[in-house]
Amino acid sequence: MSDWSKVTRPIPVPNEWTKPFWDAARRGVLELQRCQSCGHFQHPPYATCTQCVSTDLKFEPVRGIGTIYAYTIMYHTGDKRFAGAVPYASIIVELDDAPGALMAGNLLEAEYTGAKVGRRVEVVFEKLNDDITLPQFRLAPSERGQAVSGG
Amino acid sequence: MWENRCKVALSGVGFSKVTRSAEIPLAAHALTAVKEAVADSGLILSDIDGLATYPELPATGHAEVDGISIVSVNCMMAMLKLPNLTWHIQVGTVNIGGAVQQAVNALLAGVCKYAVVWRAMHNPRGTYQNLPSGMAAGATQFTAPYGFGGPGQGMAVAYARWLERHNQNREKMATLAVTQRRHTQHNPHAYFYDTELTQEDYLNSRMVAYPFCLFDCDIPVQGAVAIVLTTADRARDLKPRPAYLAGYGQRLHFEVAGRIGSLADYMEGGRSSAKLTWERSGFTPQDVDVAQIYDGFSASVIYGLESYGFCKEGEALDFIQDGRIELDGDLPLNTFGGSLGTGRIHGLWHIIEGALQASGRAGSRQVEGANVSFVGASAPIVTGTTFLFAREPY
Repeated sequence: MSDWSKVTRPIPVPNEWTKPFWDAARRGVLELQRCQSCGHFQHPPYATCTQCVSTDLKFEPVRGIGTIYAYTIMYHTGDKRFAGAVPYASIIVELDDAPGALMAGNLLEAEYTGAKVGRRVEVVFEKLNDDITLPQFRLAPSERGQAVSGG
Repeated sequence: MWENRCKVALSGVGFSKVTRSAEIPLAAHALTAVKEAVADSGLILSDIDGLATYPELPATGHAEVDGISIVSVNCMMAMLKLPNLTWHIQVGTVNIGGAVQQAVNALLAGVCKYAVVWRAMHNPRGTYQNLPSGMAAGATQFTAPYGFGGPGQGMAVAYARWLERHNQNREKMATLAVTQRRHTQHNPHAYFYDTELTQEDYLNSRMVAYPFCLFDCDIPVQGAVAIVLTTADRARDLKPRPAYLAGYGQRLHFEVAGRIGSLADYMEGGRSSAKLTWERSGFTPQDVDVAQIYDGFSASVIYGLESYGFCKEGEALDFIQDGRIELDGDLPLNTFGGSLGTGRIHGLWHIIEGALQASGRAGSRQVEGANVSFVGASAPIVTGTTFLFAREPY
């Protein structure tokens, strides 16, 4: 299992578009930007709705469950801050409530070989400091305990 | 069809030495490439009246110092002191293909007669891709905290999706790496000229960012390449046989900053650019005799082959097997070695090779009967541009 204990993650810097996302994450809630005209969820946040170009956008809570859309296993140790965790899985998650809104994360609490396209994951929150809590993912209960193979 | 079809041609080409590290300032590389391209056309510097480039340093977390890590238009103007300069531009999107297209447009508009385009690439000391130090601002706030440091990983995640969605095997990519390295042995300018690569080398190489192993990634180098573009009428009076530009396109797919891993974005980007190129040139993928498809990371070739229409989605790794991409195959591919063979110089070298093949100037790697020559000049997602060169202007 990847050892994240020695990793110092770069700290996200919220801006005017992204602040509500990070405020919600600090409260342990996953909120994504949603178009109030067409209902489309999008991530990362943007100035306009990428579907209908409306500027009426608000952050709304979503259920933190979804599937692994894509992933990579990092072996490269060029960045020393992450070197202690290699090999580790960086994943892209598509949430059930927000099709097309792709969120990055790491696959925590599992072997890196557990990352496979289509596997079910759920959000967990990793506190970085008093201001920033990072949404992360682990395998959903239905996936845990199952044999994993490959890599 | 495009009313300006085959009215502009690529004439001279030039190359600097490609080295692993920065032994001399990047400006010197660019100057060598530009002077060589001008001489290859049989012109002299005072003939050149247009300049264009895309100067970006793709290595993140390093300073952009003009003349050292980038070579801007301003830097080139200072070095060449062109007495007859009438037009220049430095593009900020769609990579070097965008600079080439702007130069084409300037020639068609009659605001210059002989335009030079160069691409100079620096290999900084230390780690090529540095994650933001301490704080992750802007688009990186949603990626860097999870260890996503550079474009390689962004492309790796989409590649993993492609492989699993289509039940494919990354080991088939060895054919691309090995074939391109064989092509490289016909290109003395390339970094990996004189260096063999076997299938075993590929299969045993270390993993960098799964599914990418070392040989799926182009090696960062220091070097520059350059071209001379002019109108077809003028090109016919110059030394080399012209390569006529039958059409071009650029990706029209909308990019969301910070969004990574979307396979659909690569496919949409490539389709939109290729569609323009086929429509303008009047050619189809079936007409193409030789193709150069950007391969900074190997999976880019998959997205290119599929989104440009050379094969169906999910089939690219099968498409490249059985000798199809050899110099005498059905679709000779990246005949100069690609970025995997030359080193990381971005897509201008692909454009150069597309033109050399179309004009019959590719030497020992010349594809017989290369009348229609296609180029995908960068990864189709964000920076995608496509070009079609023809041997005859009709």
